[in-house]
Amino acid sequence: MSDIAAVATGWGLTFVVVATYALWVVGRGKTIGRELGIGKRQVLGPGSDSSTPASS
Amino acid sequence: MLHEVLLVARKDLRVEWRSKVTIGQVAPLALLVLVVFAFAFDANARLLGLGAGGLFWVAVLFGGTLLIQRAFDLETDDGNFDAFRMSTIGAPSLFLGKSLGVFIQVVLLELVLGPGVVLLYDVRIDDWFLLLAAALAGTVAFSVCGVLWGVMAAGVRVRATLLPLLLIPVLAPVLLAGSRAFETAFGVRAEAGWTWASVMFVIAAVHTAIGVGTFGFLLEEG
Amino acid sequence: MSQIPDSKHMTATLGTRILGSVAVAAVLLMTLLGLVVSPEDLVQGHAVRMLYLHVPSIWIAYAAFVLTAASSVLFLIRSRSRADGGRHHDRLAGSAAEVGVLFAGITLVTGMLWGRVTWGTYWQWDARLTTTVLLFVTYLGYLALRRLPADPIVRGRRSAVMALISFVNVPIVHFSVDWWRTLHQKASLSVGRRPEITGEMYWTLLYSTLTVTVVASWLIVHRYRVIRLEELRDEEALNALIASRLREDDVGN
Repeated sequence: MSDIAAVATGWGLTFVVVATYALWVVGRGKTIGRELGIGKRQVLGPGSDSSTPASS
Repeated sequence: MLHEVLLVARKDLRVEWRSKVTIGQVAPLALLVLVVFAFAFDANARLLGLGAGGLFWVAVLFGGTLLIQRAFDLETDDGNFDAFRMSTIGAPSLFLGKSLGVFIQVVLLELVLGPGVVLLYDVRIDDWFLLLAAALAGTVAFSVCGVLWGVMAAGVRVRATLLPLLLIPVLAPVLLAGSRAFETAFGVRAEAGWTWASVMFVIAAVHTAIGVGTFGFLLEEG
Repeated sequence: MSQIPDSKHMTATLGTRILGSVAVAAVLLMTLLGLVVSPEDLVQGHAVRMLYLHVPSIWIAYAAFVLTAASSVLFLIRSRSRADGGRHHDRLAGSAAEVGVLFAGITLVTGMLWGRVTWGTYWQWDARLTTTVLLFVTYLGYLALRRLPADPIVRGRRSAVMALISFVNVPIVHFSVDWWRTLHQKASLSVGRRPEITGEMYWTLLYSTLTVTVVASWLIVHRYRVIRLEELRDEEALNALIASRLREDDVGN
Protein backbone atom coordinates (compact mmCIF):
# COMPACT_ATOMS: atom_id res chain seq x y z
CA MET A 1 0.00 0.00 0.00
CA SER A 2 1.47 3.35 -0.99
CA ASP A 3 1.68 6.02 1.65
CA ILE A 4 -0.78 8.27 -0.18
CA ALA A 5 -3.34 5.47 -0.41
CA ALA A 6 -2.91 4.73 3.28
CA VAL A 7 -3.36 8.37 4.27
CA ALA A 8 -6.43 8.69 2.04
CA THR A 9 -7.95 5.54 3.53
CA GLY A 10 -7.23 6.66 7.10
CA TRP A 11 -8.61 10.16 6.72
CA GLY A 12 -11.55 8.99 4.64
CA LEU A 13 -12.55 6.28 7.11
CA THR A 14 -12.20 8.67 10.04
CA PHE A 15 -14.41 11.29 8.43
CA VAL A 16 -17.04 8.77 7.41
CA VAL A 17 -17.14 7.16 10.87
CA VAL A 18 -17.34 10.43 12.81
CA ALA A 19 -19.90 11.93 10.41
CA THR A 20 -22.06 8.82 10.57
CA TYR A 21 -21.96 8.86 14.33
CA ALA A 22 -22.82 12.57 14.48
CA LEU A 23 -25.74 12.10 12.09
CA TRP A 24 -26.95 9.11 14.07
CA VAL A 25 -26.89 11.06 17.33
CA VAL A 26 -28.73 14.04 15.87
CA GLY A 27 -31.22 11.84 14.03
CA ARG A 28 -31.94 9.81 17.14
CA GLY A 29 -32.46 13.00 19.11
CA LYS A 30 -34.96 14.21 16.53
CA THR A 31 -36.84 10.92 16.38
CA ILE A 32 -37.23 10.66 20.12
CA GLY A 33 -38.07 14.34 20.41
CA ARG A 34 -40.86 13.86 17.88
CA GLU A 35 -42.15 10.80 19.74
CA LEU A 36 -42.30 12.87 22.88
CA GLY A 37 -43.99 15.68 21.00
CA ILE A 38 -41.46 18.30 21.96
CA GLY A 39 -39.24 20.54 19.91
CA LYS A 40 -41.90 21.57 17.40
CA ARG A 41 -39.81 24.46 16.27
CA GLN A 42 -36.90 23.83 13.97
CA VAL A 43 -33.87 23.73 16.15
CA LEU A 44 -31.28 21.63 14.44
CA GLY A 45 -29.86 23.23 11.37
CA PRO A 46 -28.48 20.25 9.52
CA GLY A 47 -26.18 22.55 7.65
CA SER A 48 -24.35 23.55 10.79
CA ASP A 49 -24.43 20.96 13.49
CA SER A 50 -25.02 17.61 11.95
CA SER A 51 -22.52 17.90 9.15
CA THR A 52 -19.71 18.86 11.53
CA PRO A 53 -17.00 16.41 10.76
CA ALA A 54 -18.09 15.51 7.25
CA SER A 55 -16.81 18.66 5.75
CA SER A 56 -13.91 17.45 3.72
CA MET B 1 -16.83 -11.20 59.64
CA LEU B 2 -14.66 -14.26 59.02
CA HIS B 3 -17.56 -16.32 60.23
CA GLU B 4 -19.86 -14.72 57.64
CA VAL B 5 -17.32 -15.20 54.87
CA LEU B 6 -17.00 -18.87 55.68
CA LEU B 7 -20.76 -19.22 55.92
CA VAL B 8 -21.30 -17.87 52.39
CA ALA B 9 -18.43 -19.93 50.96
CA ARG B 10 -19.63 -23.09 52.68
CA LYS B 11 -23.12 -22.61 51.26
CA ASP B 12 -21.74 -22.38 47.71
CA LEU B 13 -19.44 -25.33 48.15
CA ARG B 14 -22.21 -27.45 49.61
CA VAL B 15 -24.38 -26.72 46.58
CA GLU B 16 -21.43 -27.59 44.37
CA TRP B 17 -20.73 -30.76 46.30
CA ARG B 18 -24.28 -31.96 45.75
CA SER B 19 -24.39 -31.18 42.03
CA LYS B 20 -20.70 -31.96 41.24
CA VAL B 21 -20.74 -29.69 38.21
CA THR B 22 -17.12 -28.58 38.64
CA ILE B 23 -15.66 -32.03 38.78
CA GLY B 24 -18.24 -33.69 36.57
CA GLN B 25 -18.53 -31.19 33.73
CA VAL B 26 -16.21 -28.19 33.88
CA ALA B 27 -12.97 -30.08 34.59
CA PRO B 28 -13.51 -32.59 31.75
CA LEU B 29 -14.34 -29.70 29.43
CA ALA B 30 -11.12 -27.91 30.38
CA LEU B 31 -9.14 -31.12 29.75
CA LEU B 32 -10.80 -31.27 26.36
CA VAL B 33 -9.52 -27.76 25.70
CA LEU B 34 -5.98 -29.01 26.40
CA VAL B 35 -6.47 -31.74 23.80
CA VAL B 36 -7.84 -29.26 21.26
CA PHE B 37 -4.76 -27.06 21.72
CA ALA B 38 -2.67 -30.02 20.61
CA PHE B 39 -4.71 -30.13 17.39
CA ALA B 40 -4.09 -26.41 16.87
CA PHE B 41 -0.34 -26.86 17.30
CA ASP B 42 -0.27 -30.00 15.18
CA ALA B 43 0.81 -31.99 18.24
CA ASN B 44 4.22 -30.35 17.99
CA ALA B 45 5.74 -31.33 21.34
CA ARG B 46 8.26 -28.50 21.31
CA LEU B 47 5.65 -25.79 20.68
CA LEU B 48 3.29 -27.27 23.24
CA GLY B 49 6.08 -27.36 25.81
CA LEU B 50 6.94 -23.72 25.15
CA GLY B 51 3.31 -22.64 25.31
CA ALA B 52 2.25 -24.88 28.18
CA GLY B 53 2.20 -22.06 30.75
CA GLY B 54 -0.08 -19.91 28.65
CA LEU B 55 -2.30 -22.78 27.57
CA PHE B 56 -2.85 -23.73 31.20
CA TRP B 57 -4.12 -20.24 32.01
CA VAL B 58 -6.32 -20.05 28.92
CA ALA B 59 -7.94 -23.34 29.93
CA VAL B 60 -8.42 -22.01 33.48
CA LEU B 61 -10.02 -18.88 32.04
CA PHE B 62 -12.54 -20.85 29.99
CA GLY B 63 -13.40 -23.29 32.71
CA GLY B 64 -13.45 -20.65 35.41
CA THR B 65 -15.82 -18.41 33.46
CA LEU B 66 -18.30 -21.26 33.37
CA LEU B 67 -17.92 -21.77 37.11
CA ILE B 68 -18.61 -18.13 37.83
CA GLN B 69 -21.61 -18.14 35.56
CA ARG B 70 -22.97 -21.05 37.51
CA ALA B 71 -22.15 -19.58 40.91
CA PHE B 72 -24.43 -16.63 40.12
CA ASP B 73 -27.14 -18.51 38.26
CA LEU B 74 -27.70 -20.41 41.48
CA GLU B 75 -28.29 -17.18 43.36
CA THR B 76 -30.55 -15.47 40.84
CA ASP B 77 -32.66 -18.54 40.04
CA ASP B 78 -33.82 -18.75 43.60
CA GLY B 79 -33.93 -15.01 44.24
CA ASN B 80 -31.17 -15.41 46.80
CA PHE B 81 -29.91 -11.85 46.39
CA ASP B 82 -33.08 -10.57 47.98
CA ALA B 83 -32.41 -12.90 50.88
CA PHE B 84 -28.86 -11.57 51.15
CA ARG B 85 -30.11 -8.00 51.17
CA MET B 86 -32.47 -8.87 53.99
CA SER B 87 -29.86 -10.74 55.97
CA THR B 88 -27.33 -9.15 58.25
CA ILE B 89 -24.38 -10.34 56.19
CA GLY B 90 -22.51 -7.27 54.95
CA ALA B 91 -21.61 -6.73 51.31
CA PRO B 92 -17.84 -7.11 51.90
CA SER B 93 -18.38 -10.45 53.66
CA LEU B 94 -20.66 -11.60 50.90
CA PHE B 95 -18.08 -10.59 48.31
CA LEU B 96 -15.24 -12.36 50.08
CA GLY B 97 -17.39 -15.41 50.73
CA LYS B 98 -18.44 -15.76 47.11
CA SER B 99 -14.82 -15.20 46.07
CA LEU B 100 -13.62 -17.90 48.44
CA GLY B 101 -16.19 -20.31 47.07
CA VAL B 102 -15.14 -19.61 43.50
CA PHE B 103 -11.47 -19.75 44.53
CA ILE B 104 -11.79 -23.26 45.93
CA GLN B 105 -13.63 -24.48 42.85
CA VAL B 106 -11.03 -22.96 40.51
CA VAL B 107 -8.30 -24.62 42.60
CA LEU B 108 -10.07 -27.93 42.05
CA LEU B 109 -10.15 -27.20 38.34
CA GLU B 110 -6.43 -26.41 38.38
CA LEU B 111 -5.68 -29.61 40.24
CA VAL B 112 -7.13 -31.45 37.27
CA LEU B 113 -5.61 -29.19 34.62
CA GLY B 114 -2.11 -29.06 36.13
CA PRO B 115 -1.36 -32.77 35.82
CA GLY B 116 -3.09 -32.66 32.43
CA VAL B 117 -0.62 -30.06 31.18
CA VAL B 118 2.36 -31.89 32.68
CA LEU B 119 1.40 -35.24 31.17
CA LEU B 120 0.02 -34.17 27.79
CA TYR B 121 2.55 -31.46 26.98
CA ASP B 122 5.56 -33.23 28.48
CA VAL B 123 6.44 -30.45 30.90
CA ARG B 124 8.87 -30.77 33.80
CA ILE B 125 8.66 -28.43 36.75
CA ASP B 126 11.87 -26.65 37.73
CA ASP B 127 10.59 -24.30 40.38
CA TRP B 128 7.71 -25.62 42.48
CA PHE B 129 7.68 -22.65 44.78
CA LEU B 130 7.28 -20.15 41.95
CA LEU B 131 4.63 -22.33 40.35
CA LEU B 132 2.53 -22.47 43.49
CA ALA B 133 2.95 -18.77 44.28
CA ALA B 134 1.92 -17.76 40.75
CA ALA B 135 -1.00 -20.17 40.78
CA LEU B 136 -2.18 -18.79 44.12
CA ALA B 137 -1.97 -15.15 43.04
CA GLY B 138 -3.54 -15.80 39.66
CA THR B 139 -6.39 -17.78 41.14
CA VAL B 140 -7.15 -15.11 43.73
CA ALA B 141 -7.17 -12.42 41.03
CA PHE B 142 -9.37 -14.57 38.84
CA SER B 143 -11.85 -15.30 41.62
CA VAL B 144 -12.32 -11.73 42.82
CA CYS B 145 -12.66 -10.32 39.28
CA GLY B 146 -14.99 -13.14 38.40
CA VAL B 147 -17.25 -12.44 41.36
CA LEU B 148 -17.33 -8.71 40.62
CA TRP B 149 -18.28 -9.21 36.98
CA GLY B 150 -20.45 -12.19 37.82
CA VAL B 151 -22.73 -10.15 40.05
CA MET B 152 -23.00 -7.47 37.37
CA ALA B 153 -24.02 -9.94 34.72
CA ALA B 154 -26.21 -11.92 37.12
CA GLY B 155 -29.86 -12.19 36.25
CA VAL B 156 -29.69 -10.64 32.81
CA ARG B 157 -30.71 -12.66 29.80
CA VAL B 158 -27.51 -12.14 27.85
CA ARG B 159 -25.18 -13.07 30.74
CA ALA B 160 -23.65 -16.06 28.99
CA THR B 161 -22.17 -13.85 26.30
CA LEU B 162 -21.69 -10.74 28.41
CA LEU B 163 -19.61 -12.24 31.20
CA PRO B 164 -16.64 -13.38 29.07
CA LEU B 165 -16.67 -10.07 27.19
CA LEU B 166 -16.34 -8.17 30.46
CA LEU B 167 -14.03 -10.61 32.16
CA ILE B 168 -11.34 -11.33 29.58
CA PRO B 169 -10.04 -7.79 29.02
CA VAL B 170 -9.75 -7.16 32.75
CA LEU B 171 -7.99 -10.50 33.24
CA ALA B 172 -5.60 -9.97 30.34
CA PRO B 173 -2.74 -8.86 32.62
CA VAL B 174 -3.29 -11.92 34.83
CA LEU B 175 -3.20 -14.15 31.80
CA LEU B 176 -0.03 -12.51 30.59
CA ALA B 177 1.74 -12.56 33.94
CA GLY B 178 0.59 -16.10 34.74
CA SER B 179 1.80 -17.43 31.42
CA ARG B 180 5.24 -15.86 31.82
CA ALA B 181 5.63 -16.96 35.44
CA PHE B 182 4.66 -20.55 34.59
CA GLU B 183 7.08 -20.59 31.69
CA THR B 184 9.87 -19.71 34.10
CA ALA B 185 8.66 -22.36 36.54
CA PHE B 186 8.66 -24.90 33.68
CA GLY B 187 12.21 -23.86 32.80
CA VAL B 188 11.46 -22.73 29.26
CA ARG B 189 12.10 -19.08 29.99
CA ALA B 190 15.07 -17.99 32.00
CA GLU B 191 14.27 -14.84 33.85
CA ALA B 192 11.71 -12.73 35.59
CA GLY B 193 9.31 -15.37 36.86
CA TRP B 194 9.13 -13.75 40.27
CA THR B 195 8.58 -10.31 38.78
CA TRP B 196 5.51 -11.68 37.07
CA ALA B 197 4.34 -13.46 40.17
CA SER B 198 4.54 -10.21 42.11
CA VAL B 199 2.61 -8.41 39.38
CA MET B 200 -0.11 -10.98 39.91
CA PHE B 201 -0.12 -10.44 43.66
CA VAL B 202 -0.53 -6.70 43.10
CA ILE B 203 -3.41 -7.26 40.68
CA ALA B 204 -5.08 -9.64 43.12
CA ALA B 205 -4.75 -7.11 45.96
CA VAL B 206 -6.07 -4.19 43.90
CA HIS B 207 -9.14 -6.06 42.73
CA THR B 208 -9.87 -7.46 46.17
CA ALA B 209 -9.81 -3.93 47.54
CA ILE B 210 -12.10 -2.64 44.77
CA GLY B 211 -14.49 -5.52 45.34
CA VAL B 212 -14.71 -4.98 49.07
CA GLY B 213 -15.26 -1.27 48.48
CA THR B 214 -17.87 -1.42 45.72
CA PHE B 215 -19.78 -4.68 46.14
CA GLY B 216 -22.40 -2.89 48.21
CA PHE B 217 -23.28 -0.64 45.27
CA LEU B 218 -23.84 -3.67 43.07
CA LEU B 219 -26.22 -5.38 45.45
CA GLU B 220 -28.47 -2.45 46.23
CA GLU B 221 -31.79 -2.06 44.56
CA GLY B 222 -32.45 1.31 42.95
CA MET C 1 -39.76 12.44 39.31
CA SER C 2 -38.38 14.31 36.38
CA GLN C 3 -38.84 17.84 35.34
CA ILE C 4 -38.33 18.56 31.67
CA PRO C 5 -35.62 21.16 31.63
CA ASP C 6 -34.38 22.07 28.20
CA SER C 7 -36.14 19.44 26.18
CA LYS C 8 -37.82 22.10 24.05
CA HIS C 9 -34.51 22.57 22.39
CA MET C 10 -34.19 18.92 21.51
CA THR C 11 -30.47 18.38 21.18
CA ALA C 12 -29.28 21.75 19.91
CA THR C 13 -28.88 25.00 21.75
CA LEU C 14 -27.33 28.25 20.64
CA GLY C 15 -24.14 27.28 22.44
CA THR C 16 -23.76 23.93 20.76
CA ARG C 17 -24.72 25.35 17.40
CA ILE C 18 -21.85 27.77 17.70
CA LEU C 19 -19.64 24.92 18.87
CA GLY C 20 -20.77 22.87 15.87
CA SER C 21 -20.03 25.66 13.41
CA VAL C 22 -16.62 26.20 14.94
CA ALA C 23 -15.99 22.48 14.65
CA VAL C 24 -16.91 22.44 10.95
CA ALA C 25 -14.64 25.35 10.19
CA ALA C 26 -11.84 23.91 12.29
CA VAL C 27 -12.07 20.55 10.55
CA LEU C 28 -11.86 22.24 7.15
CA LEU C 29 -8.73 24.07 8.16
CA MET C 30 -7.31 20.91 9.76
CA THR C 31 -7.81 19.02 6.50
CA LEU C 32 -6.06 21.75 4.59
CA LEU C 33 -3.16 21.96 7.05
CA GLY C 34 -2.78 18.23 7.49
CA LEU C 35 -3.10 17.12 3.90
CA VAL C 36 -1.83 20.07 1.86
CA VAL C 37 0.10 22.71 3.76
CA SER C 38 2.26 20.67 6.11
CA PRO C 39 5.33 19.11 4.52
CA GLU C 40 6.20 15.46 4.00
CA ASP C 41 8.40 13.88 6.59
CA LEU C 42 11.95 13.04 5.55
CA VAL C 43 11.70 9.51 6.89
CA GLN C 44 8.01 8.71 6.81
CA GLY C 45 6.95 10.59 3.71
CA HIS C 46 3.22 11.19 3.44
CA ALA C 47 2.51 8.65 6.16
CA VAL C 48 3.25 11.32 8.75
CA ARG C 49 -0.11 12.88 7.86
CA MET C 50 -1.80 9.94 9.54
CA LEU C 51 -0.43 11.10 12.86
CA TYR C 52 -2.53 14.28 12.70
CA LEU C 53 -5.54 12.03 13.23
CA HIS C 54 -3.91 9.22 15.17
CA VAL C 55 -2.36 11.24 18.00
CA PRO C 56 -5.39 13.50 18.66
CA SER C 57 -7.67 10.44 18.60
CA ILE C 58 -5.80 8.61 21.32
CA TRP C 59 -5.68 11.80 23.37
CA ILE C 60 -9.46 12.13 23.05
CA ALA C 61 -9.99 8.47 23.86
CA TYR C 62 -7.96 8.73 27.06
CA ALA C 63 -9.54 12.06 28.02
CA ALA C 64 -13.00 10.62 27.47
CA PHE C 65 -12.22 7.57 29.60
CA VAL C 66 -10.91 9.83 32.37
CA LEU C 67 -14.17 11.77 32.15
CA THR C 68 -16.12 8.51 32.33
CA ALA C 69 -14.21 7.40 35.41
CA ALA C 70 -14.53 10.75 37.17
CA SER C 71 -18.26 10.99 36.44
CA SER C 72 -18.75 7.43 37.61
CA VAL C 73 -17.08 8.16 40.94
CA LEU C 74 -19.25 11.24 41.41
CA PHE C 75 -22.30 9.18 40.51
CA LEU C 76 -21.47 6.54 43.10
CA ILE C 77 -20.95 9.21 45.75
CA ARG C 78 -24.11 11.12 44.93
CA SER C 79 -26.52 8.41 43.87
CA ARG C 80 -27.56 7.94 47.48
CA SER C 81 -27.95 11.55 48.51
CA ARG C 82 -29.44 13.28 45.48
CA ALA C 83 -33.13 13.23 44.62
CA ASP C 84 -32.49 12.41 40.97
CA GLY C 85 -29.87 9.86 41.95
CA GLY C 86 -27.07 11.89 40.42
CA ARG C 87 -28.07 10.69 36.98
CA HIS C 88 -26.43 13.66 35.38
CA HIS C 89 -23.09 12.01 36.08
CA ASP C 90 -24.28 8.70 34.75
CA ARG C 91 -25.34 10.29 31.46
CA LEU C 92 -22.03 12.09 31.18
CA ALA C 93 -20.13 8.84 31.82
CA GLY C 94 -22.14 7.05 29.15
CA SER C 95 -21.77 9.67 26.45
CA ALA C 96 -18.06 10.16 27.12
CA ALA C 97 -17.41 6.40 26.99
CA GLU C 98 -19.19 6.08 23.66
CA VAL C 99 -17.19 8.89 22.11
CA GLY C 100 -14.03 7.44 23.67
CA VAL C 101 -14.68 4.06 22.05
CA LEU C 102 -15.26 5.77 18.73
CA PHE C 103 -11.92 7.55 18.89
CA ALA C 104 -10.07 4.52 20.24
CA GLY C 105 -11.32 2.69 17.14
CA ILE C 106 -10.06 5.50 14.93
CA THR C 107 -6.72 5.36 16.74
CA LEU C 108 -6.41 1.65 15.98
CA VAL C 109 -7.35 1.95 12.32
CA THR C 110 -5.13 4.95 11.59
CA GLY C 111 -2.32 3.35 13.60
CA MET C 112 -2.53 0.11 11.65
CA LEU C 113 -2.49 1.94 8.32
CA TRP C 114 0.46 4.00 9.51
CA GLY C 115 2.22 0.81 10.58
CA ARG C 116 1.58 -0.85 7.23
CA VAL C 117 3.43 1.96 5.47
CA THR C 118 6.16 2.55 8.04
CA TRP C 119 6.85 -0.90 9.47
CA GLY C 120 5.52 -2.92 6.56
CA THR C 121 2.98 -4.68 8.75
CA TYR C 122 -0.41 -3.76 10.13
CA TRP C 123 0.22 -5.09 13.57
CA GLN C 124 3.12 -5.28 16.01
CA TRP C 125 2.76 -6.68 19.50
CA ASP C 126 3.96 -3.40 20.78
CA ALA C 127 3.01 -2.24 24.26
CA ARG C 128 1.00 0.73 23.10
CA LEU C 129 -0.93 -1.11 20.42
CA THR C 130 -1.76 -3.99 22.73
CA THR C 131 -2.85 -1.66 25.50
CA THR C 132 -5.04 0.31 23.11
CA VAL C 133 -6.78 -2.74 21.73
CA LEU C 134 -7.48 -4.03 25.25
CA LEU C 135 -8.81 -0.62 26.24
CA PHE C 136 -11.04 -0.57 23.17
CA VAL C 137 -12.54 -3.97 23.99
CA THR C 138 -12.93 -3.11 27.68
CA TYR C 139 -15.01 -0.06 26.92
CA LEU C 140 -17.00 -1.92 24.27
CA GLY C 141 -17.95 -4.21 27.16
CA TYR C 142 -18.81 -1.18 29.26
CA LEU C 143 -21.18 0.04 26.54
CA ALA C 144 -22.72 -3.43 26.32
CA LEU C 145 -23.33 -3.35 30.06
CA ARG C 146 -24.98 0.05 29.77
CA ARG C 147 -27.35 -1.22 27.11
CA LEU C 148 -28.80 -3.92 29.35
CA PRO C 149 -32.36 -3.31 30.34
CA ALA C 150 -32.47 -2.57 34.07
CA ASP C 151 -33.66 -0.02 36.53
CA PRO C 152 -31.75 3.18 35.63
CA ILE C 153 -30.15 3.59 39.05
CA VAL C 154 -29.15 -0.09 39.28
CA ARG C 155 -27.74 0.03 35.78
CA GLY C 156 -25.97 3.29 36.59
CA ARG C 157 -24.33 1.75 39.66
CA ARG C 158 -23.18 -1.33 37.75
CA SER C 159 -21.76 0.75 34.94
CA ALA C 160 -20.08 3.11 37.37
CA VAL C 161 -18.32 0.27 39.18
CA MET C 162 -17.24 -1.20 35.88
CA ALA C 163 -15.93 2.17 34.68
CA LEU C 164 -13.98 2.49 37.90
CA ILE C 165 -12.40 -0.97 37.61
CA SER C 166 -11.63 -0.47 33.93
CA PHE C 167 -9.89 2.78 34.71
CA VAL C 168 -7.84 1.35 37.57
CA ASN C 169 -6.91 -1.40 35.18
CA VAL C 170 -5.46 0.90 32.51
CA PRO C 171 -2.05 1.36 34.20
CA ILE C 172 -1.96 -2.32 35.19
CA VAL C 173 -2.57 -3.37 31.61
CA HIS C 174 -0.13 -0.84 30.30
CA PHE C 175 2.73 -1.78 32.62
CA SER C 176 2.28 -5.51 32.29
CA VAL C 177 2.16 -5.32 28.51
CA ASP C 178 5.13 -2.99 28.54
CA TRP C 179 7.17 -5.38 30.70
CA TRP C 180 6.08 -8.24 28.52
CA ARG C 181 7.53 -6.56 25.43
CA THR C 182 10.70 -5.21 27.01
CA LEU C 183 11.67 -7.71 29.67
CA HIS C 184 12.27 -10.73 27.48
CA GLN C 185 13.10 -9.84 23.95
CA LYS C 186 14.55 -6.87 22.23
CA ALA C 187 12.14 -5.43 19.71
CA SER C 188 13.43 -6.01 16.21
CA LEU C 189 12.05 -2.72 15.03
CA SER C 190 12.23 0.41 17.09
CA VAL C 191 8.49 0.21 17.32
CA GLY C 192 6.67 2.89 19.19
CA ARG C 193 9.43 5.41 18.86
CA ARG C 194 8.15 7.98 16.44
CA PRO C 195 10.44 10.40 14.71
CA GLU C 196 10.91 13.84 16.15
CA ILE C 197 8.15 16.15 15.09
CA THR C 198 9.11 19.78 14.79
CA GLY C 199 8.20 23.02 13.06
CA GLU C 200 5.12 23.01 10.84
CA MET C 201 4.39 19.41 11.68
CA TYR C 202 4.38 20.23 15.36
CA TRP C 203 1.95 23.11 14.91
CA THR C 204 -0.30 21.06 12.66
CA LEU C 205 -0.39 18.32 15.24
CA LEU C 206 -1.19 20.76 18.01
CA TYR C 207 -3.90 22.39 15.92
CA SER C 208 -5.51 19.10 14.93
CA THR C 209 -5.52 18.00 18.57
CA LEU C 210 -7.47 21.13 19.42
CA THR C 211 -9.85 20.57 16.52
CA VAL C 212 -10.56 16.95 17.39
CA THR C 213 -11.19 18.05 20.97
CA VAL C 214 -13.83 20.50 19.79
CA VAL C 215 -15.48 17.86 17.61
CA ALA C 216 -15.45 15.35 20.47
CA SER C 217 -16.95 17.89 22.90
CA TRP C 218 -19.76 18.56 20.46
CA LEU C 219 -20.40 14.84 20.12
CA ILE C 220 -20.38 14.28 23.89
CA VAL C 221 -22.79 17.16 24.56
CA HIS C 222 -25.25 15.94 21.96
CA ARG C 223 -24.99 12.34 23.00
CA TYR C 224 -25.66 13.43 26.57
CA ARG C 225 -28.83 15.19 25.48
CA VAL C 226 -29.98 12.19 23.48
CA ILE C 227 -29.48 9.94 26.50
CA ARG C 228 -31.61 12.42 28.47
CA LEU C 229 -34.30 12.18 25.80
CA GLU C 230 -34.13 8.39 25.86
CA GLU C 231 -34.68 8.47 29.60
CA LEU C 232 -37.64 10.83 29.23
CA ARG C 233 -39.15 8.53 26.63
CA ASP C 234 -38.73 5.50 28.87
CA GLU C 235 -40.30 7.33 31.80
CA GLU C 236 -43.19 8.47 29.65
CA ALA C 237 -43.77 4.95 28.39
CA LEU C 238 -43.76 3.70 31.95
CA ASN C 239 -46.20 6.37 33.08
CA ALA C 240 -48.49 5.60 30.17
CA LEU C 241 -48.41 1.92 31.08
CA ILE C 242 -49.21 2.64 34.72
CA ALA C 243 -52.03 4.98 33.69
CA SER C 244 -53.57 2.37 31.40
CA ARG C 245 -53.35 -0.26 34.13
CA LEU C 246 -55.09 2.07 36.56
CA ARG C 247 -57.82 2.72 34.02
CA GLU C 248 -58.30 -1.02 33.54
CA ASP C 249 -58.63 -1.37 37.27
CA ASP C 250 -61.26 1.37 37.35
CA VAL C 251 -63.24 -0.35 34.62
CA GLY C 252 -62.91 -3.65 36.43
CA ASN C 253 -64.33 -2.17 39.58
